[in-house]
Amino acid sequence: MTNILSIPGVKVSQKDYHQIIVRGNGLEKFNNTIEEKTSIKPPSKNLEVKYDLNYLFAKNSFDQWSLILTEKKDHNQILNLVSSINTNENMLASDYSYGQVYFEIEGENKDSFLNQLTHFDLREEKFPKSTMAQTVIARIECSIYNLGNKYIITCNKSFEDYFQQRLKDTASLN
Amino acid sequence: MSAINNKCEYISKNQIKITFDGKTYSAFEGDTIASALLRNNIRLVGRSFKYHRPRGIYTCGIEEPNALVQIISEHNEPNTRATIKRIYDGMEITSQNRWPSLRYDFGAINNILSPIFSAGFYYKTFMGPKGFWKNLYEPLIRRSAGLGKPPKNFRSKSTHQYHNSDIVIIGAGLSGLAAAKKFINTKYKVLLIEQDSYLGGVLKNSNKVKTINGLTPQEWISETEELILNSKNITILKNTLVTTYNFTNHLIALEDKFAGKKIDLNKSELTLHKIRTSNTIITNGHIERFISFRNNDLPGVMLASSFEKYIHRYGVVPEKEPVIFTNNSSSLSLLKKLISLGCKPKAYVDSRKKDNIETEIKKILKDKEIPFFSDAEIEGCDGNKKVETITIRQGKSFNKLKSSMLCVSGGYNPDIHLFTQSKGLVKWDKNILSFKPDTPFQKTITLGSTSGNYNFKKLCDEINEKLSIFKTKKVSLDINLNVPNKFSIKELWETKKKNNSNWSKSFIDLHNDVTTKDLKQAITEGFDRIEHLKRYTTNSMGTDQGKISSINSLAIVSKILKKEISEVGTTTYRPPYAPLSFAAIAGRSTYEFYDPERKTSIHSWHLKNNAVFEDVGQWKRPWYFKASENETMHQAVQRESKMLRENAGILDGSTLGKIEIKGRDALEFMNLMYTNAFSKMKPMTSRYAMMLGEDGMIKDDGIICKISDQHFIATTTSSGAPKVLADMEEYLQTEWPHLQVYLNSITEQFSTFNISGPKTREIMMKVFPDIDFSNDAFPFMTFKNFDYKETKIRIMRASFTGELGYEIYIPPKFGLELWEEIFSCGKEFNLIPYGTETMHLLRAEKGYIVIGQETDGTVTPIDLNYNWMIGKNKKDFIGKRSLSRPDTSREDRKQLVGLSPINKKDIIEEGQHIVELNELPKKIKNPIKYLGHVSSGYHSPNLNHSIGLAMIRGGKNLLGQKFFVTATGKTKNIPVEIVNPVFIDPENKRLTS
Repeated sequence: MTNILSIPGVKVSQKDYHQIIVRGNGLEKFNNTIEEKTSIKPPSKNLEVKYDLNYLFAKNSFDQWSLILTEKKDHNQILNLVSSINTNENMLASDYSYGQVYFEIEGENKDSFLNQLTHFDLREEKFPKSTMAQTVIARIECSIYNLGNKYIITCNKSFEDYFQQRLKDTASLN
Repeated sequence: MSAINNKCEYISKNQIKITFDGKTYSAFEGDTIASALLRNNIRLVGRSFKYHRPRGIYTCGIEEPNALVQIISEHNEPNTRATIKRIYDGMEITSQNRWPSLRYDFGAINNILSPIFSAGFYYKTFMGPKGFWKNLYEPLIRRSAGLGKPPKNFRSKSTHQYHNSDIVIIGAGLSGLAAAKKFINTKYKVLLIEQDSYLGGVLKNSNKVKTINGLTPQEWISETEELILNSKNITILKNTLVTTYNFTNHLIALEDKFAGKKIDLNKSELTLHKIRTSNTIITNGHIERFISFRNNDLPGVMLASSFEKYIHRYGVVPEKEPVIFTNNSSSLSLLKKLISLGCKPKAYVDSRKKDNIETEIKKILKDKEIPFFSDAEIEGCDGNKKVETITIRQGKSFNKLKSSMLCVSGGYNPDIHLFTQSKGLVKWDKNILSFKPDTPFQKTITLGSTSGNYNFKKLCDEINEKLSIFKTKKVSLDINLNVPNKFSIKELWETKKKNNSNWSKSFIDLHNDVTTKDLKQAITEGFDRIEHLKRYTTNSMGTDQGKISSINSLAIVSKILKKEISEVGTTTYRPPYAPLSFAAIAGRSTYEFYDPERKTSIHSWHLKNNAVFEDVGQWKRPWYFKASENETMHQAVQRESKMLRENAGILDGSTLGKIEIKGRDALEFMNLMYTNAFSKMKPMTSRYAMMLGEDGMIKDDGIICKISDQHFIATTTSSGAPKVLADMEEYLQTEWPHLQVYLNSITEQFSTFNISGPKTREIMMKVFPDIDFSNDAFPFMTFKNFDYKETKIRIMRASFTGELGYEIYIPPKFGLELWEEIFSCGKEFNLIPYGTETMHLLRAEKGYIVIGQETDGTVTPIDLNYNWMIGKNKKDFIGKRSLSRPDTSREDRKQLVGLSPINKKDIIEEGQHIVELNELPKKIKNPIKYLGHVSSGYHSPNLNHSIGLAMIRGGKNLLGQKFFVTATGKTKNIPVEIVNPVFIDPENKRLTS
């Protein structure tokens, strides 16, 4: 974990997570494969996020899921998991661990801080806890997961420097 | 003539200094530039736009048409409204649009010549002679146009803030605060926006209101503000002006973060609020309008309510003995205030008949022996750069009074700018003689004087009724007034001139120097539609959008046309409500954040090794690497190309698009998407493939890796990756929903290195000693996966340079480490890094095409002689039918060929034409036959002469023929021979070595 910034009411840190993007039809066989390989039942509602201390599992769209593993693991373990999911010919699992970066944003002013970078409506009634969204933050495509007391934001690794700079710049101008 | 300072709780006692036109003045914290200048008896503050007439301070707010100044201490910001810009210690201000000085302005000659500068002057005058417009008129007009000088170059740090709310209340005056009070601690998320630094609006601008709910206005404001601040659901934005009301209740508001403070260049000076709301409540009040009369623009003429606001809001009485001129009842509060301060107006001129004038006014005037002129009007003012004498017409008699200030009130307009921006419809109200909101187009509610309700007593009922759609408690407002609650007005837009003089003007638009005579002339010339007239005269087209005068012009036009004002209609008020800077609009999307940047995992190494970058989409890609400080791009590219063909080179190809394709029907899908046939392709082999549009034209290319019939990996061009993925998804979801195939973009999941050159195998064997790189074990266009440290890598044998080559795919976390390892191992083999420019040169030598360079959306694979890539036996693929159209199989289509100069010293430039003439005429009179164009042109260090790839009509049949290539800035063309596009290793010996 790397602390990116801390200002009154907002703390941003960068995390080292693993991620697997899974595509499939979400039917019984799909669910069984996921449960068998990960011991986690995939969320069934669109944009729903299930999470605990070790993982975060979200349904991104009608046929796409993202599984974020928060525990540090050997990369080969992740690749083996990807391979074993891919044994089901009706599914595609791709390793997204190191092609993405992960930011955790917490604090009472996190909404107003983020709304300097995104138009996205973060109000509880529009973006409830345990849901996710794919939107534009600081003019780049990101996924944002609402875990109640904090948000997890992921974006492509190639934007890592740019995104960090935008976060720091926003904080410095506050 | 002198101003007096009065007690005022909104102004600090701290004295500060400002300079205006180089002279230093004392003022107080909280002053605007205008209040500070008035406090120092400065009346002349600027020159008018067209005639350079002397101008003073006309209003006390955003509606100001005259007092525009330049702020030297804020990077020379021009056209700043002195009436709203708050001062700070050390602020430097200058007047604008004058030379050499404000008092003695050379441009005032325009006023002398003004009789010829009437409406339409520019349109009529600058028609000829031919050539004068470009060489004389336009440069001259450009030099003299505008008011202030452009600002200095500066780096703004303006920010944007997005909001999503249930209710936005615009204006925190009496109506706005009362409305906000209804929503305290309710379920609604509310934004209360006020352009001033204080809440209260009209309550702080005059003493019309005595008490609210038993409290003084100030006590009520403080109590309400505290309740709002303590509420959980209402946010107050002060110093924030709503400038724009777009569709779907989208509002733009500009916050001045340094109102009354010196700008800190490290902080955000402006914040542009972008607000999406469910409901908008507009309570931004009304704007007083003026009356047109002779010389109604002289410094010293000021709107009556503005004069009153200077007293209440800023504690400055601009003049002890002004003349008051009105056509309505609202000036009573000003009269009373002046009396209470021991000031005595020089005269009170009311256009209403004596019987219609309020008894209280008449009584005060009588008791205080103030000269009273009823059923009268101001004929005009006179004076040198200021009001000195005022002429009053009463019946047939004229009275001339000496006074330096004239307070004018022509009535009030509800401030409908934002309502009309929201596309709400307005209607004419005969009682207030103005347009007021009628039918909203969006979820918009107007309250108080914005809705045309000038009756304080009816405000409470209006709020409770209009806001009853929200589930909130009723608000109670018991308002006691210092003035009668009735608003009475007599129609008066312009007064008659005693004598007709060409130099005494009666202005209708002070900002753009438009006179009432201009309106009449425009109608005479046939511009009788209000929108045409507006453009012909430029009336209300200034940055103030005629806030104090546009209704007056409609009324004057309606009188001339003998129509009702409602028939004439209104012009359109357009956003922004008041000017906002480009810096605010741009926000942080400037300079270092102009465009998001994408970097590969090797970026830091490139920086350390003197890479010069080029932008490819948002990616930063090494263009070439400088071996020394003085090495030019040409030298670097020549060096890199030669070194690679002799030894080895490595390119960071991480930006290449990569898509993973998997599913039961993946094979069928790939056969449909690409021209190539994949059915007989063996697993773990790869193939160069081409994707067409439905028109048969090449859209993208890449290498397809087949893991199995159900699993593929496709590479795409760097910039084409998102589009290719989107197209694939679209076809799957719309055209072939029966196919069970899933796609993931894995561009970012792998760093990709392209290593090639004759010594590549030796380097690879050193980096990966356990892998057999022999031709038999690892043939061309195959790939394998290997364990590498705690991850896996994929190595593919492929090349884009024509040399023996491999592509390595590795997760980005391990990319830099492997890259450095390759360099460490490659040192003894003279391995060099190379950039995209060298890559382009090398592939051109080999005759490989680049999408977007050899192709331009009109090129088919057949045009490139890539027929071998088309699966002839395939049932279908995208673009198949189009390839059999007569037009796509024409023999004379532009086709890919190579160009070799006859004289090997000649340079073939990219983009040049190919022609049959060896020399072009100096003046081209007849079209020259054009055969095609050079799509790629480089100097090949390996052939030691220039080479080119070209798209030429019927090119395939022209091999061996001689043509000419045009050259920049020359009429003599370069003779070239049409050759095979493969210049190096046509037998592919190097590639498969």
